Amino acid sequence: MNTTNRNTEITLLARSAPYGSGAAKLCLDVSIAAAVFEQTVNYIFLDDGIYQVLDEQDASAINSKSFGKTLEALGLYGIEKLYVDEDSLRKRNLSTNQLLPQVELVNVEAIKKFINQSKFVLTL
Amino acid sequence: MTSLYTITKPPSAAALQSCARFLSEGDAILLLEDGVYYSTDAKNWPALPLGTKVYGLKEDFLARGLSKIVDTQVELVDYARFVQLSCEHDKIVNWL
Repeated sequence: MNTTNRNTEITLLARSAPYGSGAAKLCLDVSIAAAVFEQTVNYIFLDDGIYQVLDEQDASAINSKSFGKTLEALGLYGIEKLYVDEDSLRKRNLSTNQLLPQVELVNVEAIKKFINQSKFVLTL
Repeated sequence: MTSLYTITKPPSAAALQSCARFLSEGDAILLLEDGVYYSTDAKNWPALPLGTKVYGLKEDFLARGLSKIVDTQVELVDYARFVQLSCEHDKIVNWL
């Protein structure tokens, strides 16, 4: 590894639904913090984390900030893609047209690769 | 790069089920805290890739009264071995 290269690859595995606990928000904060410091962030949504990338969330109804809107803005920080585990999606009877436009479906092998090549892996 | 996956939640949280899908060769599992309850019933276990080593922290088994019903596939380890395992793998992933 090049010691002058300060860039670290980080994989975030978001596994929690957005509003019921603080986990999803925490994961989002980590992604922004890492991206601001110019680290490579692989932001992957699986299991109940899939619910974070549902399109047309309107959290004003529960006096919260809409998760989807914030995730869409991540492009400003250099996180262009939101990866979604296709098996988790299928299990929840959802399809890509119900998700945010910038999501990209990935399979188990692709996620394993992200995990293996990253220096840090965080599940939340 | 190999990973040591730590499981700290009971079987009802299904963390191991989720984690098992992404195991690669050389990865290992360490049951900690409430993760040790996986050993109470064979039905708790998801299919793991052949050869996956499963460790459990002895102190957490003892504390919960589980030392006698430990699963044969779980190798009990002490804190010193926990540290050793952490060093033997490239990273630790706590699967929440």
